[in-house]
Formats: sequence, C-alpha cells, structure tokens
Amino acid sequence: MRRWADRIHLAARLLVSVAVLGACGRAGDRQTAASQASGALTVTDDAGHRVTLPAPARRIVSVAPSSTELLFALGAGPQVVGRTTWCKYPPAALAVPVIGDGLNPSLEAVAARRPDLVVLYRSALNEAAAAQLARIGVPALVVKQDRLEDLARAAQLLGVVTGHSSAGDTIAAAIDAVLRTPPPPRHVRLAFVVWDNPPMVIGAGSYLDQIAGLAGGVNVFHDIPAASATVSLETIAARDPQVIAVLDDSTPVGEPAYTARPEWQVVRAVRLRRFVHLPADLFGRPSPRTAEAVAELRRLLEAWR
Amino acid sequence: MRWLGLAGLSVVALTLAVVLGPAHVAWADLGRSPIVRELRIPRALLGFVVGGSLAVSGASLQALMRNPLADPFLLGLSGGAGLGAVAAIALHLGGPWALPLAAFVGALVALGLVFRLGLIGGWGGGVELDPRVLLLGGVAVGAFAGAVMTAIISVSEAAQLRNAFLWLWGGLSGASWDTLLVLCLYVPVPLLVLLAAARPLDVLALGEEPARYLGADVTALKRRVYLAASLLTAAAVAVSGVIGFVGLMVPHLCRGVWGQQHRALLPASFLGGGALLVLADTAARVAVAPRELPVGIVTALIGVPLFALLLRRWTAT
Repeated sequence: MRRWADRIHLAARLLVSVAVLGACGRAGDRQTAASQASGALTVTDDAGHRVTLPAPARRIVSVAPSSTELLFALGAGPQVVGRTTWCKYPPAALAVPVIGDGLNPSLEAVAARRPDLVVLYRSALNEAAAAQLARIGVPALVVKQDRLEDLARAAQLLGVVTGHSSAGDTIAAAIDAVLRTPPPPRHVRLAFVVWDNPPMVIGAGSYLDQIAGLAGGVNVFHDIPAASATVSLETIAARDPQVIAVLDDSTPVGEPAYTARPEWQVVRAVRLRRFVHLPADLFGRPSPRTAEAVAELRRLLEAWR
Repeated sequence: MRWLGLAGLSVVALTLAVVLGPAHVAWADLGRSPIVRELRIPRALLGFVVGGSLAVSGASLQALMRNPLADPFLLGLSGGAGLGAVAAIALHLGGPWALPLAAFVGALVALGLVFRLGLIGGWGGGVELDPRVLLLGGVAVGAFAGAVMTAIISVSEAAQLRNAFLWLWGGLSGASWDTLLVLCLYVPVPLLVLLAAARPLDVLALGEEPARYLGADVTALKRRVYLAASLLTAAAVAVSGVIGFVGLMVPHLCRGVWGQQHRALLPASFLGGGALLVLADTAARVAVAPRELPVGIVTALIGVPLFALLLRRWTAT
C-alpha cells in the first residue's frame, strides 16, 4: 500500500531534540525564547540536521499525509501551501494545491510553491531531497512519524516551527496520556493483514501494533520488529488470531477478495469471517487523533472479547 | 543410477516441504493437521509442477534459439503478466481469481505479439519464426509492458498497486488444491507437445539447414516448441509470479549429467526443476521464520553457486 511508504523504512531511531536558540527545557518556554531572539529559531530535525528559520514558517509544503494532518491539527492549516495527492485529511486539506504523490518529490514542484519550510517524512530519499532543498535556500525539516511517541515529538517540533508551540504541547501531552492509559484486561489476539499474496502483516515496529496494545488487543506478530513483513500463510494459521484487522482503503468497503481463496480458509478467523474494518482516515497513519483510534478499535474488539 | 538419484532428490525435496515449516506440527499430527493438508502439500506439489514446467520450457527454448542464455522469461512473458496483474488491481477487478487470470491473459497477449513479430519471410518463400527476431521481439515487448506497468503504478491512486510488484517477484503463497488442479489440467498438454518434440530438437541442434536436409519440418517444429514453452511459462507466472533462474540453470545442470539428448534432458529437467524449486521454497519459508523470503531470491542463492561450480568444472576439462 502506498500509504505505508511513509512508515515502512528501516532506520535507527534518532531522538528528536528540539533546541531553540537560547532555550532549553520544556517546549512551553521555547516560544518566548524564540521571540526574544527576534523571531529567529533553530531546531534539530530527525535526520540530525540543524534547521534555522528567520521566523515561524508562513508557507509550508507538507510531503506526507501524517504531517499534513498534524499541521492542520496544530492550527497551522492556513500556513500549508502544498500537499501530496495522499493528503486527504482533514477535508480542509483538499483545498491546498497538490505537489505530487510525495514518494519521490519533484523539487521543482515543491519550489514552485515558494515555501519557507518543507516538511518531509524520514527516508533516505527524502534526506537527499532535504539536502537539495537546502542548497536552493529552502529550509527542509525531516520528521520521523512511525510510532506514536514519534508523533508526540513531531507535534512539538512542528508546533515550534509554525508558531503554534502550545498547541504542539497539548497534542503531545494528549498522546503521552493515551500511551500511559492501561489497556483493558482481557486481550483479543489479532493480526493486521495488509496484503494477501504474498501475505504481509504488521509487526511491532508499526504504530498499529501500539494502537492494538492500547485498545486491549495483542498483535500475534508482535515478535517481528519491523513495521511490516512478509510471512507464510501457515504462520498466520498456526498463530490463530481471533480476528483479522483490515485497513479499509478508498476501495469499496467489504471483505477482502482473498477471504474467498481456498488456501485462506485454513486461517480460522478468515473461515469464520471474523474481521474488524479499520477506517483508513483514522488508522491509515499515526494521527493526532490517536485517542480516538484507540477508543474505536477498543469498541470494535469488544464484540470478540 | 542417475535417474534413481534424481527421483530420490525429488522425493526428499517433497518430503522436506511437507515436514518442515514455520508452524510447529507434531509428527503424530502430520496426517491430520489442516496446515499440512491444505497448505504444505498443495504448495509443495504446485512448486514441483511450476519448477518442472519452467525447466522444461527453458530447455526447449535454449534448443530452439540455439542460445544458452534463453530463459522462459526472456520472451516478454513476465512484462505481459505483470501488466495484466497491475491492470486487474487498478481496475478493481474483484474475485479471488482475478489476479492470476489477468496475469495469464497479459502473458498470452505478450506471447501473441512476440510470435507475430518473430514471423518473417523465410526459407522457401513462406513465413516462419526467426529465433533471433523472437529474442529481440521478446525483450522489446517485455520492456514496453514493463514501462506501461510502471507508468500505471506511478499515476494511479490505487493504494495496493505497489504490492503488485511483490506478487510479480514470485512466490507460491497462492497455492491451494484448486490452483494445483487447474494447473494439472492445463500443464500436461504443452508438456507432452515438448516431450514429443525431443527427437526433432536434437536434429535442430545441428542447425536449421542440416535439420531440413535430415527431413525435419523445421518451420512447424519452431512454432510448436515456441508456443508450447510459452504457454507453460504463462501458466507458471499466473500461479506463482516470475521465478528466475530455474528455467535458465536447471537445463544446463541436467545437460552436464544427461548430455544433449532431449529425450532424457527434458524429463530430467522437469524433475530437477521441480526438486530445486520445492527445496528453495522450503528454505524460503523456514530460513527467516516467521518471515518469508521471496522464493526467486532463494532459487538464485542456491542455484547460482552450484551453477558457477559446475561451469568451472566443465570449462576446466
């Protein structure tokens, strides 16, 4: 799935460090510190590069659905002047001009929007793009948004560079609160099947695994460290999940086509048609609405508990 | 003795494929477990038939083209099949059989195009297949289909399209008794056509003109062999995607043991290709469990060093 592109990349986890000129410590102090320094601010992005802006960004091109959603949630929506074809949430984002599909961003299309900041998700290709943008004088921020804790940091980072740092802190605090909430005691074993031939499932590296845990589910492929992996059908059958979680795309909602394939009947949850359908809007990427996603999955799993 | 060894290898490969797997199945349960009955056995048998078909197809095409590099996928079939599969996903064609059917149709269209390109005015005034033109036409059609496929993937909005590549790179995850049954009804026809062409293929090895003087109907032979080999490959790609190296290497390995006589070479290639693919698939399932490797990578990892070793031994003597 193309949407997975913004999270399926293997990379060592880098700590996000937000360091505003003349300030250290909590993000709440940063805005004041930044404004004291005549509006100029410097942050360190998730690729480890220091990015300096003369002032909070006013024209932002966002090259990932997750950062677009986050920018709108921060209240920086009016500052977004470019998005990808995949950035469809919130609906207000649809009014923003498209710069491409974001997988291999066309730098000219990005530059044509005359941005004062470009936000890219972290990948080798995008780090190269960020370096190229820096050469033509466009500051680019590489942001890792694979896991829920990344999202909290991304909210603070983007909050600072857009001048909405208190909103960033609020979102980060809300996500931290969700992460600290104890899950329901009785667990439902589930598998996220994202493709059927070859069968691909979600592993522990994905935010979906985290959401499952918080909602009182156990991902039966939690032992796979990657965000997603190809597995044998017999492994799915042997691990015998109680339910299969299906991420619903824009394609017609319904049982996936593979459920009619004879070989899939070996998986009990498929044979018994035990599916939970996850709306792509809410579950398709790490989202500031994580609390809502956890509550929704919890509700969906209640039937199988 | 050689045949006994090959038969033994095939039995060992099939047994390992049924006994080994990422899921733990106790010895006592091997007969009853649905994992063994519904997944491992049909997958092992499907792998055997696909591997055997690819190897026979490769051996026949190498004889037809008189080119040791000929491979079942060199003639544009992989590009056509991939384009068919991508079109099926992009058009949201539903149903569990949509993907293999679309891939099969795509491969047939490519086959037809390459066949038409390969037919040129030839010996004795009639039209006939020119192996060199077939080869070039195959590469051209394959490249064009590949480009169209990539273009569709680049501009389309369907989120699953990226996975079409995963499917195309090959694997036997789609194996079931139904798939095996369909393949077993289909495969014997082109397979028998190729086996029947064993003697004329030996004669063709001498060159087209000498073969004609020896009384072989070269024009008909070339068409028959090309179509049968391609139809075999089209079926293989529809059920398992593009699995490389089996069709290229196994015939050469078998030539080293059985010599150039196609009457022995073709059956030996079938058993050898079947055994190699089943072994490779077992390794693909078990090596990094619970994850699974694409089987084409394993066929290359097992096959290429073996091939290199034999190549050195043959060239040394």
